[in-house]
Amino acid sequence: MTAQLDQPEPDVATVHVVTTRERLAGVVQSVGRRPEDIERRWWESALVFGLFLVAYTWFGYWLVVDMHVVGFETLDRFNRALMIWHNDPPKLSSVGFDYPPLTILLISPLTIVPALASSLIAVPLASSVFAAFTMVIFNTMMRRAQVLAPLRVIVLVAFGLNPLIALYAASGARHFMWLAFVVAALGALFAWYVTADIRFVMIAGLAFAIAALSGYSSLLWFVVSAVMVGAILARLGADGTEIEGTTVGFAAPTVYVIALWSAFNLILVLKPFNWITASSDSASSGGLESFSAVELLEYTGRLVLYGAPIAIVVLPALVFAGIARRNSLALWLAVILFLSIIVPALSVALKLTDSPMVLRNALPILLFSMIGAIWLARSAGDGATLVSALLVAGLIISIPWTFQAMKTYKYQGLESTFAAAVSTRQSQEGATTPDGSTVGYVSEQAMATWIKDNVTLNSSILTDNAQTSAVILLTGDPALFFDRVDKSDGPWLTAAKDPAAHVDYMLLSTGSSEDLLSNLYQDAVDGSNAFLTEAYRTDRYVLVSVPSGFRRGADSLGDQDPAAVSIPGQGITTTPVEGADR
Amino acid sequence: MTTPQTQAQPQAQAHATTRTAVRTATRIGDGVDADVRHLIPEGICRTFRVLPYGEEDGTVLVAAADADDAITEQVVAERIDRPVLLVRHTVNEIVAAIDEAYPPVESEVETAEARRARMQMAQMLTRSGLVTAEQLQRAMLEYARTGDPLGDILVSHESISEDVLVAALSELHQMQRVGLGDFEPDLEVARRLPEPLALRLQAIPVAETDDVVLLAVARPLVDDDVTEVERALGSPFRQLLANRTELDQLIQRVHSAHYAEISTRGLMESRPESSAHVVITSTQKALLVMTIVALVLCGVVWPVNTLIGIVGFCSFVYLIVSVYKFRLTLRALGTHLETDVTDAEIASVDERHLPIYTILVPLYKEAGIVPRLVRDINALDYPRTRLDVKLLCEEDDDETIDKIISLQLPPHFHLVVVPDSLPKTKPKACNYGLQLATGTHCVIFDAEDRPDPDQLKKALLAFDHVPANVVCIQAKLNHFNQDQNLLTAWFANEYSMHFELVLPAMGASESPIPLGGTSNHFITSTLRELGAWDPFNVTEDADLGIRLHREGYRTAMIDSTTLEEANSNVGNWIRQRSRWNKGYYQTWLVHMRNPFSLLSQTGLRGFMSFNLTMGSAFVLLMNPIFWGLTTLYVLTQWGFIEQLFPGIVFYAASAMLFIGNFIFVYLNVAGSLQRGEFGITRTALLSPLYWGLMSWAAWKGFIQLFTNPFYWEKTEHGLDEGSS
Repeated sequence: MTAQLDQPEPDVATVHVVTTRERLAGVVQSVGRRPEDIERRWWESALVFGLFLVAYTWFGYWLVVDMHVVGFETLDRFNRALMIWHNDPPKLSSVGFDYPPLTILLISPLTIVPALASSLIAVPLASSVFAAFTMVIFNTMMRRAQVLAPLRVIVLVAFGLNPLIALYAASGARHFMWLAFVVAALGALFAWYVTADIRFVMIAGLAFAIAALSGYSSLLWFVVSAVMVGAILARLGADGTEIEGTTVGFAAPTVYVIALWSAFNLILVLKPFNWITASSDSASSGGLESFSAVELLEYTGRLVLYGAPIAIVVLPALVFAGIARRNSLALWLAVILFLSIIVPALSVALKLTDSPMVLRNALPILLFSMIGAIWLARSAGDGATLVSALLVAGLIISIPWTFQAMKTYKYQGLESTFAAAVSTRQSQEGATTPDGSTVGYVSEQAMATWIKDNVTLNSSILTDNAQTSAVILLTGDPALFFDRVDKSDGPWLTAAKDPAAHVDYMLLSTGSSEDLLSNLYQDAVDGSNAFLTEAYRTDRYVLVSVPSGFRRGADSLGDQDPAAVSIPGQGITTTPVEGADR
Repeated sequence: MTTPQTQAQPQAQAHATTRTAVRTATRIGDGVDADVRHLIPEGICRTFRVLPYGEEDGTVLVAAADADDAITEQVVAERIDRPVLLVRHTVNEIVAAIDEAYPPVESEVETAEARRARMQMAQMLTRSGLVTAEQLQRAMLEYARTGDPLGDILVSHESISEDVLVAALSELHQMQRVGLGDFEPDLEVARRLPEPLALRLQAIPVAETDDVVLLAVARPLVDDDVTEVERALGSPFRQLLANRTELDQLIQRVHSAHYAEISTRGLMESRPESSAHVVITSTQKALLVMTIVALVLCGVVWPVNTLIGIVGFCSFVYLIVSVYKFRLTLRALGTHLETDVTDAEIASVDERHLPIYTILVPLYKEAGIVPRLVRDINALDYPRTRLDVKLLCEEDDDETIDKIISLQLPPHFHLVVVPDSLPKTKPKACNYGLQLATGTHCVIFDAEDRPDPDQLKKALLAFDHVPANVVCIQAKLNHFNQDQNLLTAWFANEYSMHFELVLPAMGASESPIPLGGTSNHFITSTLRELGAWDPFNVTEDADLGIRLHREGYRTAMIDSTTLEEANSNVGNWIRQRSRWNKGYYQTWLVHMRNPFSLLSQTGLRGFMSFNLTMGSAFVLLMNPIFWGLTTLYVLTQWGFIEQLFPGIVFYAASAMLFIGNFIFVYLNVAGSLQRGEFGITRTALLSPLYWGLMSWAAWKGFIQLFTNPFYWEKTEHGLDEGSS
């Protein structure tokens, strides 16, 4: 007989069966009790996505391929993505820790076909995808806000034509990646607030998780949103269990990805928080220009004024709606918008950035202002059309206003070059940005073309891919290179010290002090090494042939006869130099 | 939407404030006021001969044939939220007015004879002090709703015993009674009436003379039945009234061999290809051996590549099983894919049209749970007179049988003793009970189940809403003791995902659904046609779900939950889960005996869905191997392991490890959130530990598939510390 028979029988008169109805009676987010959500319209979302994708890709192709307006960081990321599939061997570790990992992993599907990457078509396509996705989110938000269809179209077009948006949507930059997911997360919370559908909390949580690994600064919005979810639920009368459970559901994905990424950092570099301390998103290298408090205030004002002027109206309106009308979401959106405005200055004050007060900091302000304005439209009820019209006006006025500011604003990346390209319709190859960088990739393209035409053997070019990534990308064949990703830094350094045993060529950058190989072979960069003959040289790179038997420093020892060594690719038989090892 | 609860409140208040007066009038005024005439439902009007017909100064005038009757007065007052005045009128006048207010449907109106018999019965019982006024009022109200015999209603509420009712009926119908408690039947005589007829009419020959057969009956037979019985017996017969419970037991005893034979061998003989009595067919064995030989040969010739191939194949299976499940859950998240039945629909169900509903409850060594089970069955919002509850006990389980007998349950509870034979499984007991079922619909509940009270009505309404090929409605399962410990919380997480997300999505996409162990509602006749459950399959529920799909039938889900007891003990949990996994392997082997036939019957989508659903049991077998390899690699960086995961295999495996695993954890969270069970979302985050237990159980079940395939790992119930 079983154990339970020894137990006293349950008191059937007193045990109460809690029915589903009773159990859900006090639940704020009970499925089936919420208001109806808007009807799904896949075709409309697909249309918005498709139109913006095509428009930005087309514009981006012109900008990147014809006007040469593209950042080296962008090319580096695409090269890493290319290496995931086409390195020899394919390497996931090419992702590295320099960038948030998803900025590379998410674009990696576009590099499965190498020609897409080497022709740079993938570059505008990548950012266009995320920008178009953002537009879909805004469109859905406006549908939830009951903004009329014609107004939605005008708002999206006016917003999409904003030069700051156009630049980052079309140039392959990574910023739209994390911003798209932050906007998606906030859009999901917007929907959750309207419908009380807990699915949207989960979608928001997942979107924040992706955003966190696409841009670490999204963690700030994640934290604020987590507090917001809890506070709103408490206000709606949810009990502690519901608040806790919902917050856990919301936070779990982001906590997981951050924990996982920290674990990777711990295992691979023995520093769990290397990802945040070494990232340019969240750490300063020390060369920061100093700002006084007044200057920070001034540039904060300029950021808002030039980059996202609609925030000047939206922020007070949200505060008013939040306080006067007891509109919880409006108040929280005001908090988010306010934080986005002060964060650039705070990160400078806390020395958390290498790019102080740059104009792209206005991007989140602009996007959050849009969300705030859409919520105001919904909250206005019958006045939704009026609010939408005001938003359209603000967005249209912003276009020339921001465009002018991009030409002259002090702290920026490619904004002035972009403005010049759009104004003059002339290639910006060789132009200099306000921070002193040179625009263009002709030098890299020439080197890549020569390599493609003359080198066929895999792993035959030794290079520091951190400095020559653009060349590797433009060849479309990272397998040709023996880089730091192939077998990690240890074997690469060994090869760098004894290149003849491993490769036929070395690709050196000529203008970078951070190229490890160039630093080892400075004489080759200068063209003064008698053994390392130049195979091809451009303004920024030199490809030198590594003769068989060559060892670093051997020329200074005088134990090699230049005539005895082979020149790869030129049909000369290799004759190993006896005693070279000695 | 107005729920029954919200209606009850004003009624109660009205009762507290209403003053009832009585006056006499000769006729119902100048006609019936259309605003008030429907204040009292038709059934009550006809039962108590009352009808609201007008309003004066805020007081509702109600015509009543028996205006002095306290019960009538109370019933009327409870249903009208205003002061009421009962006005005496003639019966004829009231009936005519009721007929005008509620045009009669011939078959539903009580005949004068029936009314007379009912009134006689009520008077007999009240005058003899066998029922109280309260009990009678309750029964009369139920009669008004259902039209069922008053005596049966009183017995079902345990107001009187069945013996008292039989005595009263005997008096009313002037029929002799017979006691069958200790009766030892002459089987030859008893079997003179064919079993289907005996079962349907609840009648059995108990003795015979040269001219006449003495037939024990539960209720006097109507003329048509008399003719039919006479024809079957081939001789005249005399009816003797018997206690329904005793009669039921006698019929079971007389025909037990037949029932046992059908319940064990029915499917095996009618559809041998669908029976799991053979675990692996010879073709399957040959295929398995050939595959192993081929792998070994490849392993010898190309050891590393063979291993890479195996790892790649496993990773692929892993990936597609995961993607399939993810797709399903994503589809269901935040939506209602279940067949919708509203509270208003349930409230407006006409109970006079409700069919007999059979509830099969297999019990084995669960005597302690029986009182709770009886309470929860009685709590169902369904007329007890239309319930046919089969408490299915094994012959060797004396304690449970004795317990049920000692409770002296009313006749809607039937003790069914399944003769001791192999295989001793739950499906065999259910098959046995199904043969005795009198309901047009039937459902299985486990002994510890606590179904939502409106589940039966919801299932019936759902059958009305779905296409004709839907023959099974699956309710959701979850647990009432989820807070007991970590294991029960994990179990609840898993069930929340499975029943709130996966199964509704499968139902909506018309995929073959592996049914849950309980709370699956069937159309009884179709279930019998299908051969019912496979007694050799230890997850007969999953198997039946696939089998009915193959026959062109479908399963739908309803949003009604049955709370079960989650296993709170690891050993007990492993036993239960190992059986489930073994059953999944059995089911897969049975239905993949002829994959082309399965493909043609279910279509490509159904075929894929079946294999991916069953594939989850195989994934559990793979888990420990992959976890082991990953751990070993992290600790040792062993190059051999790296070799096994080249390029794309590595990417797929990494994606599964880091993204797939998290997604499954998160889907557990999602299931709990969808269900509104916020308290267990935390534990869902720890579900990878639970997966470890699942893999353990999967391996146990897999090994047992070859060593002891038909063994039923019994789950102990009643370990829930009495939590509710």
